[in-house]
Amino acid sequence: MCDRLANTASLEKIRRKKQTMADKSDLKAELERKKQRLAEIREEKKRKEEERKKRDVRSQSETRKKSEAVPEDSDLDHKRRETEALLQSIGISPEPPLVPTHVSPPSKPGSVPSEVGRQDSTDGAVPGRTLHWDTDPSVLQLQSDPELGSRTQRLGPSKITQVDFQPRELVTYSKETQTPLAVLQSEDEDEDEEILEPAPQLVPEPREEEGKQEAKEAPPRELTEEEKQQMLHSDEFLIFFDCTIRVMERALAEDSDIFFDYSGRDLDDKEGDIQAGSNLSFNRLFYDEHWSRHRVVTCLDWSPQYPELMVASYNNNEGAPHDPDGVALVWNMKFKKTTPDYIFHCQSSVVSVGFARFHPNLVVGGTYSGQIVLWDNRSHRRTPAQRTPLSASAHTHPVYCVNVVGTQNANNLITVSTDGKMCSWSLDMLSQPQESMELVYNRSKPVAVTCMAFPASDVNNFVVGSEEGAVYTASRHGSKAGIGEMFEGHQGPVTGISCHNAVGPIDFSHLFVTSSFDWTVKLWNTKHNKPLYSFEDNADYVYDVMWSPVHPALFAAVDGMGRLDLWNLNSDTEVPAASVTMEGCPALNRVRWAPTGREVAVGDSEGRVWIYDVGELGFRRGAPAQWRDSQQSTSESGCSRSCLARWLCLMLRTGPASSARWRRSGPIGATLRRKQLRNWQDKGGHPHPTPPLHARQAGTRWPPHVSNPPVC
Amino acid sequence: MDDFQSGEEVALWVSALQSVEGAIGGNAYQHSRVNQWTTNVVEQCLSQLTKLGKPFKYIVTCVIMQKNGAGLQTASSCFWDNTTDGSCTVRWENKSMYCIVSVFGLAI
Repeated sequence: MCDRLANTASLEKIRRKKQTMADKSDLKAELERKKQRLAEIREEKKRKEEERKKRDVRSQSETRKKSEAVPEDSDLDHKRRETEALLQSIGISPEPPLVPTHVSPPSKPGSVPSEVGRQDSTDGAVPGRTLHWDTDPSVLQLQSDPELGSRTQRLGPSKITQVDFQPRELVTYSKETQTPLAVLQSEDEDEDEEILEPAPQLVPEPREEEGKQEAKEAPPRELTEEEKQQMLHSDEFLIFFDCTIRVMERALAEDSDIFFDYSGRDLDDKEGDIQAGSNLSFNRLFYDEHWSRHRVVTCLDWSPQYPELMVASYNNNEGAPHDPDGVALVWNMKFKKTTPDYIFHCQSSVVSVGFARFHPNLVVGGTYSGQIVLWDNRSHRRTPAQRTPLSASAHTHPVYCVNVVGTQNANNLITVSTDGKMCSWSLDMLSQPQESMELVYNRSKPVAVTCMAFPASDVNNFVVGSEEGAVYTASRHGSKAGIGEMFEGHQGPVTGISCHNAVGPIDFSHLFVTSSFDWTVKLWNTKHNKPLYSFEDNADYVYDVMWSPVHPALFAAVDGMGRLDLWNLNSDTEVPAASVTMEGCPALNRVRWAPTGREVAVGDSEGRVWIYDVGELGFRRGAPAQWRDSQQSTSESGCSRSCLARWLCLMLRTGPASSARWRRSGPIGATLRRKQLRNWQDKGGHPHPTPPLHARQAGTRWPPHVSNPPVC
Repeated sequence: MDDFQSGEEVALWVSALQSVEGAIGGNAYQHSRVNQWTTNVVEQCLSQLTKLGKPFKYIVTCVIMQKNGAGLQTASSCFWDNTTDGSCTVRWENKSMYCIVSVFGLAI
């Protein structure tokens, strides 16, 4: 039994070996057979591909293709099934149909599965792609016939894909009001009737008036004809009639003060009697809907040739990035139209502007980029006619000061930028400056200039205000060309500077006022490097200040709370003579007097230019008295020292109450001032404060031993 | 766009988005560089799609529009085999510009 078992075991082993052997040989044979089969299949496929190509060239019909496709399809299918069966017999499962990133080169000898897996034996046509889509025969059919144009597809329209971006919405709101028309019309008619009646009747018919006068006199006593005629032709009556007729004509034709006496007899009474507020009245507002909106008024200037023209420059509008950054508008005061006469553009925001004094058609602008631009109103273009280059030879920092100085035949454009560079240009050629200079103090630090002023009729010396709060004198030519002296006093950047430029018998051109961020306006003398007086009535940054061109004691200042102040040094130095706040309290950036001295233009931070009329305050009513006093003192001492003294004495002159106020305002030298007051009163009003000896010397400063000179 | 017709559309969308992000992500609109960006987006998108290795024809369009307050409206439609072909549109934006990439895939 054991033997039998062993035998069977061994027999089985042998059998298995044989089987395996046979299997192996079988396998080998089978492999060979399969290889042959595969080769056959491949060859068939190639043949068929070639045939198909030939058929394509001949352009066959659909039915034929179909008929050919069908047997091919079955053939392919059949082959596929065969290969799958072969694979299974070897023991290799067919590859999974979906292998997305499988790319194998067409010729890979020896790797049976990949070869089998690829059915695109049409290597030439479609290299490197594998059929891993799905086993849908229709799809297979598609892929096996890539060259065929028409297939059994179902084409249909797709969904519409849309892209939508909403535009940015601009919300505008407008409102209009209309006054009742009936009331206006009736008022006009009444006025017309009144004016018409007296005028024609007066001149051609004086007799009628005589008749009327006769009628008025009738009630007391009836005059005889003879008496009447006698009276009418008497000298008294004729003189009286002659005078009154003049007055009546004026009264009826005028709406201003007809009782004004040009002989000046009643001026003295009115000097101290100026009511604040009644003298500053709103005239009009210049604002353009498109060009002024959201821009700050950076500079104003009045035209020297046409007193009704005014130019205003604006900085950029951040809400309109496509509009030009720099805009300058020329407004006309004479006409009631609300649009500017000229509109000028430039690429960088304009920070200073001015009419070219000796060229009536040119407007000069200094820009934020350092470029100086020149507009010409003869051309129809809004862009500058000339521009300076943006190079190191010209300016590269914002130019806040542009000024034309000189005479008709010899004039220059002086520009200073905030890096302390001053250039002098000829208006004919802006391609390079005629001369340029660095304004450097003490040879060390350049001065950051924010404002500049030339005294009247001076082309060489000027004063500049800087960002550090110091004021400097400077000169263009000469041995001391450049920065001269430093005037310290302000505690914040100097925003505006103005030299006294009222023309009159006395020359006050050494006096200038400055405004600053430290809430004060200070009055200076160029010969003294400490301020003469500080005006401290403001409660916000004071943005600009300017002397009146006609009144020697009047200047205007504007601050950030919307206040426009007119200070009259003849009347009061503690509070402004007139003050008005703009509606809405915008920050006021610029103030400019009209050359007539009767109007003040104020530019604010919202792009509006306000024009205010200055009433009697601006007239020279105060001036003759002022000049007269000046004349008296100059005849006595005849020196500029006395001018300084005269300012001080004027402050004292208005009475003990005001001098007490003046005393209060300055802590330094209070006792000294009291002594002076007593001194002055004792000496019977001699207009020199102590020490009197030094006052008579021409052009001297306070001597060093006077430790507390009477300044604030 | 949100309802993908098939898994392939997802692939299209992903490759389009990746190419946009890679080419212009993090930049602000600059007119001098915009034409370079559009070509980059289209090229990258197309190369990613061809890397997928599918037997498809691809059409890629790219529109870059600066954000300036203007409105934009586009529409597109196709006549194809809805079962095998698909498209997708990627809308991408940042603070200064919009970018619209459309990819159409047509089965061969």
